[in-house]
Amino acid sequence: MKIFINFGKGFMTTGKTTKMVLFLFVINLLFSLILAVPMYNSLKNSLGASEAGNRMVESFDYIWWEEFRDEAQGLETTFTPSIIGKGAILTNLESLIQMRFFSAPPILIGFGLLYIILHTFLAGGILSTFNQDEPRFAVKEFLQGAGSHFLRFLALMLFSWLFLFAIGAFLHNAILPIIDDISSDSYSEVIPFLLMLALNVIAFFLLLFVQMVFDYARIKAVLEDENNVLKATGKAFRFVFKHPFSTLGLFYLIFFLNIAVTVIYILVKETIPQSDVLTVLAAFFLQQLFIFALIWIRCLLYASQWELYRYLK
Amino acid sequence: MFKKYQAFSFFLALLLFLLPAASQETFCKQIANYTMDVKLDTEAKMIKATEILSWTNDTGYSTNELWFHLYWNAFQNNMSTFLTEAERRGRSVSGFKKDDWGYCRVESIKVVANPYFQEYDLMPFLEFRYPDVENLYDQTVFSARLPNAVRPGQTILLRIEFESKVPRPISRTGVYKDYYFIAQWFPKIGVFQDGRWNCHQYHSASEYFADYGTYNVRITLPSTFVVGTTGEHREKIDNRDGTATHHFYQHSVHDFAWTASPRFLEYTENYEFAPGKQTEITLLLQPEHERLKDRYLNAVKNAIKYSSLFYGDYPYSTATCVDPAYNSRSGGMEYPTFFTGGAYFLTWKGIPRPEGVTIHEFGHGYFYGLVGTNEFENAWMDEGFTSFLDTEVYYTAYKEPLYNRSFFGIPVTFKDVKIPIESDGISSHRQTYNMDVLQRFAWEFLEGGSYGANSYSKAELMLRTLKRFMGEDIFARMIKAYSQRNWFKHPQPRDFYTVVSEFAGRDMSWFLDQFVYGSDKLDYAIGKISSDREKKPEGWFDGEYIKREIEANRYQSEVIVRRLGEVKLPVEILVVFEDGNEVRETWDGQYRWKRFVYQQPSRVQKAVVDPEFKLVLDINRTNNSQMRKPNRLAPFKWVSNWLSWLQHALEFFTILGG
Ligand SMILES: [Zn+2]
Repeated sequence: MKIFINFGKGFMTTGKTTKMVLFLFVINLLFSLILAVPMYNSLKNSLGASEAGNRMVESFDYIWWEEFRDEAQGLETTFTPSIIGKGAILTNLESLIQMRFFSAPPILIGFGLLYIILHTFLAGGILSTFNQDEPRFAVKEFLQGAGSHFLRFLALMLFSWLFLFAIGAFLHNAILPIIDDISSDSYSEVIPFLLMLALNVIAFFLLLFVQMVFDYARIKAVLEDENNVLKATGKAFRFVFKHPFSTLGLFYLIFFLNIAVTVIYILVKETIPQSDVLTVLAAFFLQQLFIFALIWIRCLLYASQWELYRYLK
Repeated sequence: MFKKYQAFSFFLALLLFLLPAASQETFCKQIANYTMDVKLDTEAKMIKATEILSWTNDTGYSTNELWFHLYWNAFQNNMSTFLTEAERRGRSVSGFKKDDWGYCRVESIKVVANPYFQEYDLMPFLEFRYPDVENLYDQTVFSARLPNAVRPGQTILLRIEFESKVPRPISRTGVYKDYYFIAQWFPKIGVFQDGRWNCHQYHSASEYFADYGTYNVRITLPSTFVVGTTGEHREKIDNRDGTATHHFYQHSVHDFAWTASPRFLEYTENYEFAPGKQTEITLLLQPEHERLKDRYLNAVKNAIKYSSLFYGDYPYSTATCVDPAYNSRSGGMEYPTFFTGGAYFLTWKGIPRPEGVTIHEFGHGYFYGLVGTNEFENAWMDEGFTSFLDTEVYYTAYKEPLYNRSFFGIPVTFKDVKIPIESDGISSHRQTYNMDVLQRFAWEFLEGGSYGANSYSKAELMLRTLKRFMGEDIFARMIKAYSQRNWFKHPQPRDFYTVVSEFAGRDMSWFLDQFVYGSDKLDYAIGKISSDREKKPEGWFDGEYIKREIEANRYQSEVIVRRLGEVKLPVEILVVFEDGNEVRETWDGQYRWKRFVYQQPSRVQKAVVDPEFKLVLDINRTNNSQMRKPNRLAPFKWVSNWLSWLQHALEFFTILGG
């Protein structure tokens, strides 16, 4: 019940601060557009005045793409058919869980890192917006809040990387060799497949768990003005272990909401042919709506956890 | 005693060979005939066998030595030519323990008395040979000096005892758990050709070459094992000691490979691939792939049906397809009437697996099997023709495959991204076209990638270009004639040239030479298109000053076609005007460019060089067309898709931040 009450409260809070979500969305869009410009030029130059352009509007010209891929440099190497629709989500999921982003083009790694740091900054704004008697979004207060929590949040982020690194190192150095051993003596690919899948699922859930604990650490830092990062983290762990059902329950409720929205997006997106200006625009707006929804859900997670934390304290 | 024994052994040998050979009509001269009694010791992973070889000198030359392959000695140490070359290609073996290495050792070798020869022990006269690479650690070829020459038309009979250690899986051979895949495993005589022995060392990037003959093989192994081999399974005798002896027989083939495992699911079906023509299909499936049974069987059926149609009726009475065991490294390989596919337990509609590899390996039954290409020396005439065959059959029997990628080991298809037949091989050709020429010994390519891209991709693309250049009907008759005329003949490139020229009605070496012996690129492009209003006449014309004010309602258009590569082929050009009018041109492609000028009531809308996509070897297809107005939506559409991926990525990765 606690879960649903606080989910509801969080939902209301996020609803009231939708302007903030819009603000965050615009930042995401602008940031991405910086890279989209060179990508647009690459595509434009490669397609030129060729009929391949027509074929790329009708559907996908595989022969053109192979030519593009064989010449691709840097950012261009990320343009593959596997970023279409569901592929985009699966690609990102895989590169997060398997830490494949290290093999991304350097410019993308740099940008990603910058964005993560920027978002750490913004998280301070999000939480300080919620930390009002009547949550209301105003850019000035938002940025003030963001600024005042930034260093602590940055430290928390680096600290969380330690955990992630430890988890990654453990899975990679202790568990993976065991799976490799089993694989090299297995009758078929089925067992290795299942073991690898399980490992990925475990890695993902541990990753989410660390995220959740550090969410509470950030909430604690803002709500109780806790300056000591170690203390905040320790208390966040204690809080989560003290209330495992409500914290995890709330987290996974919102996590499954995220999945539901993603699945709906994929299904709707697949029905849009993107073969003329109208449908291309329709797909574009749908994509933006999806990103907006994801950011909204991220804020919902913060707001609900915020409410839960206050409720349980 | 001696004479008696001699007479007896001759009689025995005569029985062994003549009886089975006479019992069935063969398709060709049986040059190298093997009768083998084989015992597989699954404890020691050893094969002990007796091989009785009858070899006929079918040439006009005499020879006083015999050359043999001992392929498995490539796996007896890391200094062999095979493993040295494999290491250079980045495929070194590592972690081989004492029992993992494999070898083939001749224990005894004797001439058996027959009307031409007396009994004679050849053991003292064996010598390892290095015809390609002087490498004293390599023991993959040996010769035996004979007391007297084998003259043209004579047959020599040998009795060879040998012992082979089955290696850990390597290069389509070996044992993994209880799965055995046994190929290139016995002392195998080379090919005596033009007065010389054609018997190359075992190379990492090369396959095989042998003469045709009859294989009569008895294999004894634990009775729980299911066995699959080249040819027909004649009988299984239970030895009542936990072992069984299987008898296999096949004439008119040039190799014999086999597999054994107690885990195989075995399915056998008679298949009528053309009216009155049938063959027995056997599928040996891994139990984990049971749900792929129909996909495999349908692939074999489609392969037989369409290969028969395109390259001549499949003549053998059996076709055995093996689904290779995991980690066995035996997938995707061909042997006469016997081949391995390859599958992953998860596969969906649109993913050409296991179909692609199954069709390819069956297809080798033509250009490796029936035609008997020398794979050491003319790899492209086997791999290239077979790659061509597999795509032709696949695209006839199935829909275009879809782009797919695996996420977490689960393949995912992208329904909007269809893979057209023209794309097969072009990417690898583009990256290697100037590294090598097609016609080269398999181990003499710059690198493994170039061997593959030339032998498989470039040759396939050349055939597809030739098909579209000659016209589909003529090509279809030509390629079938090439196949059928050369069955059991070991053709050379010139034999292919002859058939192509015959069907084209003119010498085609100018076409083929550019690809077979050349390493240039083929790339035509539209250089420029433009359309302007016809100019108004102005100035002195025959002493009269004219200045016309009225705008002409016609347009002067120019199309420039360029040849960016060195390969010269005649090409067509399509020019489309905005009013829908179309003009077709042809250009011999000899000079670097050509300009076409038009006066038409409307502007040029687009120009396309090679509009029918005949020249699939063209390494840049995008520049083959130009529209006067580029499509602006295309880059926007795709950058918007890419953008949403990036936006999602950025948002998603904040899990790592806050
Ligand atoms: Zn092949």
